[in-house]
Amino acid sequence: MKITDLEKNVGNFNLKIDDLYIQPGLIHGLAGHNGSGKTVLLKLIMGILNPDSGKIDLEGIDRRNMTMMSQRPYLLTGSVYDNIIYPLKLRKIKPVESKIDELLERTGLLAQKNQYARSLSSGERQKLSFLRAIIFKPEFIIMDETLSNLDPESERAIVETIKGIQQTRPVTWLMVSHGQDVREELCDIIHYMEKGRITDEVVKG
Amino acid sequence: MERIADWFVKCFTDEAILSAIGVTLKMAFFSCLISSVLGITAGLLLERYNFKGKKLIIRINRTMMGMPPVVAGLVVYLLLMRRGPLGMLGWLFTVKGMIVAQALIIVPIMTGMVHQHASGKAPAIREFCMTVGAGRWQTVWTVLREMRHDIYFCIVTAFGRSISEVGSVMLVGGNIKGKTRTMTTAISLLKSQGIFTEGIALGVVLLVMAFIIQWLCDFLQKEESADENN
Ligand SMILES: Nc1ncnc2c1ncn2[C@@H]1O[C@H](COP(=O)(O)OP(=O)(O)OP(=O)(O)O)[C@@H](O)[C@H]1O
Ligand SMILES: [Mg+2]
Repeated sequence: MKITDLEKNVGNFNLKIDDLYIQPGLIHGLAGHNGSGKTVLLKLIMGILNPDSGKIDLEGIDRRNMTMMSQRPYLLTGSVYDNIIYPLKLRKIKPVESKIDELLERTGLLAQKNQYARSLSSGERQKLSFLRAIIFKPEFIIMDETLSNLDPESERAIVETIKGIQQTRPVTWLMVSHGQDVREELCDIIHYMEKGRITDEVVKG
Repeated sequence: MERIADWFVKCFTDEAILSAIGVTLKMAFFSCLISSVLGITAGLLLERYNFKGKKLIIRINRTMMGMPPVVAGLVVYLLLMRRGPLGMLGWLFTVKGMIVAQALIIVPIMTGMVHQHASGKAPAIREFCMTVGAGRWQTVWTVLREMRHDIYFCIVTAFGRSISEVGSVMLVGGNIKGKTRTMTTAISLLKSQGIFTEGIALGVVLLVMAFIIQWLCDFLQKEESADENN
């Protein structure tokens, strides 16, 4: 995915990305201070916001095969299970119960399977958001601080799940994370942002 | 005790009273149905799309929400009277005419309420729909589904408005016994004639209905507040 001369103003904030390339199949990290424009950039990529000018070339990826886990996930009325199978329902795919139970188990949400989603704690909400995003096997996954608020075991479980997905099929990831350890463990490339600009890029290895 | 029971039996076998109840329910049901379809659609569209003159439309709608029902009744009367623009329909002094008047009162209320609820909730729902790749109609459906409690609440409120209306119904319907007489218009007539018993019976029915509606509203709001746990 290629971004060129992208510009967006929200309120007094100005975002300007001259050149950003997201390489297919790699895990990209996005780091920067609060208010540096990470969420705005992710929303532009997801198509939630429209750019004032410039271009986002998805290079053939269908937006329906992209997903984004919001910083504050929207939870549908209904149970945890209802939420997780929702993307499958949209695609008329029949959920495989054992598979879903296995995912819930791995992230420690199995006991909450039939709980009302909006009664979840904030960490549990993030985990639900993660499962709901990967369930339909998108080819491009955006995560906005999904790993914050998680206890170490849960964080580990998600990191391992991401690695597992990466080994079975090529998925492109773009994740905002404040945790340096996770970034260094997972990300192939880290982009640094400051005041609406990309200021640095670090390639691992 | 027995006498009260007898009196109730007498009231609720009285054809005029049963007719008033029937007319009220019919009028409330259809005006509520029409208003719901129009009001929900308009409210959601108004939230969804930005266009020139939108602010003006919202302001006009607010004004209409506060319009005294008698004025709506008068407008519909003028439209439906024999020499009026819609006179050929022959709807004056019929239940149909009353439904039109009611719709004129309730559609703006419904539109305004739905618009307000949608402004608070729909953007986040649409945003979410985008992140999971929902199509256009799937998104519309999801917004409706997620807002269902608000929408039920609006419908129940509209129904409550409709059964309690007097002025416009009297004007447009003419309060014709057995035909366009409703519970409320019957009560006001009976009272003016100094007959209280039947009025009380109808009043009791109206109170019971108001109670049920109130209870439904409370129930829906409780469901709603259990949702807000952010
Ligand atoms: N709708 C808006 N109206 C006005 N200002 C906005 C709007 N959305 C974002 N901003 C501003 O744009 C800047 C960037 O916001 P953004 O949410 O992208 O930050 P962020 O990098 O994601 O921060 P965080 O790490 O706290 O999530 C902030 O200063 C924010 O106040
Ligand atoms: Mg952010």
